[in-house]
Amino acid sequence: MLPAIILITAFGSAGAVYLAGKVHPRLRNGLAVLSSLVLAGLVGYGYGQKSELVTISDFLGVDLVLRLNSLAWFFAIYIVIINAGSVVFSLSYMKGKERLDFYYSMMLLVSAGMLGIVLSGDLLSFYIFWEITSWSTYLLISYRRGPALHAGMKYIIMSLIGSCAMLVGILSLYGTFGTLGIPELRAAISGCSPGYALFILLTMGVAFGVKFAILPLHTWMPDAHSEAVSPFSAVLSGVLVRMGMYGFLLIMYSMVGLKAVLSLGSGVLDFHYLFCWLGALTIVIPTFIALLQNDAKRLLAWHGIGQGGYMILGMALGTSMGVAGGIFHTINHGSYIALLFLVVGAVEYRTGGVRDLNRLGGLIKKMPVAFVGCLVGIMGLIGIPLTNGFVSKWLIYKTLITEGHPFLAFMAFVGTWGTILSVYKLLHNMFLGQLPEKYKEVRKSPLSMQIPILFFCLVIFFFGIFPGIPLRVIQGIQGTMGFAPLRLTLWGLASDAGALNMLNICFALVIAFAVVFLLMRLGPKGRRVAQHDSYAAGSFVPVDKYHYTVEFYNPLYRMISPYLKDRVDQFYYWIAHRASDIFDVTRKIYTGYAGTYVLYIVSFLAFLIFVQLVWRTW
Amino acid sequence: MVTRIIQIVLSPLIALVVGVLFVGLSRKIIARIHRRYGPPIYQPVIDVVRMMSQRSISHGALFELGVVFALAGSFVTVLFIPIGGTEVLGRAYPLAHGVLCPLSGSGGLLVVIYLMLLAPLGLALGAGASANPNASIGVSRKLLLALAYEVPFLLIILTVMSHYQTISITEIVARQQQTAWGVLSMPLSAVAAFLILPAMLGIRPFDLAGAPQEIASGPLAEYGGRYLALLALQKAVHLFVVIALFVDLFLGGGVNLATFLLKMLAVFLVVETISAVLPRVKIENAVKFCWKWPTGLALLQMVITVLSK
Repeated sequence: MLPAIILITAFGSAGAVYLAGKVHPRLRNGLAVLSSLVLAGLVGYGYGQKSELVTISDFLGVDLVLRLNSLAWFFAIYIVIINAGSVVFSLSYMKGKERLDFYYSMMLLVSAGMLGIVLSGDLLSFYIFWEITSWSTYLLISYRRGPALHAGMKYIIMSLIGSCAMLVGILSLYGTFGTLGIPELRAAISGCSPGYALFILLTMGVAFGVKFAILPLHTWMPDAHSEAVSPFSAVLSGVLVRMGMYGFLLIMYSMVGLKAVLSLGSGVLDFHYLFCWLGALTIVIPTFIALLQNDAKRLLAWHGIGQGGYMILGMALGTSMGVAGGIFHTINHGSYIALLFLVVGAVEYRTGGVRDLNRLGGLIKKMPVAFVGCLVGIMGLIGIPLTNGFVSKWLIYKTLITEGHPFLAFMAFVGTWGTILSVYKLLHNMFLGQLPEKYKEVRKSPLSMQIPILFFCLVIFFFGIFPGIPLRVIQGIQGTMGFAPLRLTLWGLASDAGALNMLNICFALVIAFAVVFLLMRLGPKGRRVAQHDSYAAGSFVPVDKYHYTVEFYNPLYRMISPYLKDRVDQFYYWIAHRASDIFDVTRKIYTGYAGTYVLYIVSFLAFLIFVQLVWRTW
Repeated sequence: MVTRIIQIVLSPLIALVVGVLFVGLSRKIIARIHRRYGPPIYQPVIDVVRMMSQRSISHGALFELGVVFALAGSFVTVLFIPIGGTEVLGRAYPLAHGVLCPLSGSGGLLVVIYLMLLAPLGLALGAGASANPNASIGVSRKLLLALAYEVPFLLIILTVMSHYQTISITEIVARQQQTAWGVLSMPLSAVAAFLILPAMLGIRPFDLAGAPQEIASGPLAEYGGRYLALLALQKAVHLFVVIALFVDLFLGGGVNLATFLLKMLAVFLVVETISAVLPRVKIENAVKFCWKWPTGLALLQMVITVLSK
């Protein structure tokens, strides 16, 4: 019963919020927050439960089924928590903007659609919820109109191509096996030929790859992020994109099965090995493109693509530890990328919509909570020890090394270094350096922004120090997919070829920090000075000009920027332009004027009469 | 348990003392190459004591905590690096499981790679908070240089880890002592590691991040007093970490602390004498150099290692 209750609440609240907005804005805001919290409670209550429910039996010959299991629960709780954080954040961020009823309703509809995806027990319901999610996302991306319409169009076209491919896969499955239930398909597919399994993986994989923004299907993502509003960016990059990960897990390990996936192809053309390389490329190229960005949200969007590569890499390896790392990285990434988008949103809100990293600076003194959020977020993104990002990356690296893939491990490591450079630029250009005069009156972020920011900070450290808690849930999922269990402890891993103990690392860091801090206290206290009271070799410190942000890594830009053009995007645009040329030619024929068509008919008749007169054919 | 706690206290202290003496030694060597007499070898100690008694300016909490973060990060890294075994005069003492590495079983070399990030990150945060463009330029150069040397460094580390099929440094050291040193089994990696040592240490020709004549010592521009004292200590501990890691990965560690420190001294003297006669390079040239020779050698060795497995 529970999955049905969750979905009814989710879809019902999306509609109710819209109607409540017509009554009073306060009621709408309250209802939106309340329903996201209730959803979080409902899903949380479902922990460890297993249920299955036939909603509509014999619809076009298939049963529509909802089901709750460990994989569904894991993704559901992750969806509702990040969505709740964004809705709370929206309260002040969206204040005074237009069409808010529509906005809140769509935010809840997107999350309802995603809950539907993870709770579906058959591929037809899966497809229906998948489309609901895609279309409501399209509406939210283009919420701001203007250039946002273009970004939304780009998203929906790519998404539709993916959906078509998925539909082909689903129809073929139905045609071959006569069922769309996931457990039935799992039993049926295990006997089919490897070629057919590959066909299913590829057709469904295109749909998931577009949503996941895996190279070379990533091009919609940077545009969508720079145009979407910040709280929605947090949902978009944090969870919506990761529906692709859910899809991959579902087809690769729940349907086709571990053994079949690992035995597809041979030698260098091994399916899962090629998939690993795709993941590695998805790490390196987008991460270095992120280095060249000056728009805070575009920079984060490219990182969102790049971090996806780690998840693919971990998942495609097909070992117990690798897949655990990939799944764990998915939720970790959700927590810190959502946090970073919210921080950028808070800065945007207080500075009057400025996201250009060359026009900010010194905000640490004005917005301390946002700074802390940004610092914790980038630490998670880099994977500094004690944050959750470290543990999941450690699992992936360790698998790569012990399984003997040093080149893949190298790509993953280099991606981390590219990340450090670009996120330091993000932090420095927004919060450090000199505070420009025009931001002197900036106030700290409102409480409804601080709460989600601090909440995600806590999650990052909690999962970083006690990774055993989420990993135990992940182990439950892996058990259903046929992976060997890991030897977990509360704070890490006990393993033969190198253990991980976060508690030791945590204690060591805290004690070292305390000792050094006391050591510092031995000397006399520093005298606080204002920002213009800094060293300028004896000359006057020019106001607003004594700041180094523009082209922060100039020497490197000159070296790498010629190699990092997004050629895939250019290629897609080339196809789109050629296609639209063809449509233009078509339009010259089908002009839409009745007169032209009459002319066509008359001239065709004249041609027939001419033929008859000359050759007497009939 | 008791021996472990003693080690946890002792190994950062050893790193601190040895690092500070190495810094003093380097000033002496450079002075002699310049045909000067040079300061006494304990000059850095005098400097730190003097700076601790002086009053500095401060640009806020992050400006101060960045320094603490950097030094604490360096100290913690030391705990994960084995600094020799416990064998004296051919007799093995089972004390401390036979190796001086307090946190050997908590994550291995992968953790070391990430812990080595803490110090530069702390320094970058503190320097960024100092609201001085010289500091920001210094940080930008420092991070670019780090990207430049990390590419060969990661290749080297990965080659070593896949050669020994483990991520534990203590095991890498033990295997070298049983068979051959890393420098013999992976010669190209060792050469590459040696080439990037000056860049990792931030000494000439790669001292561009803190170039005093160009950008007023870069990240250190605003620091003085107790903060500068801690940063001087951080530099010393960092020196210890980098050289110790080289000895552990390629020179078979040490059977005891004394042989370990002797090997460190030998490596340090060679690096220092070469670097003393080289002029500073521009950041572009540093990146190009690191991505050409050390990366090429490290990549070649990795291919050889993978193919020979």
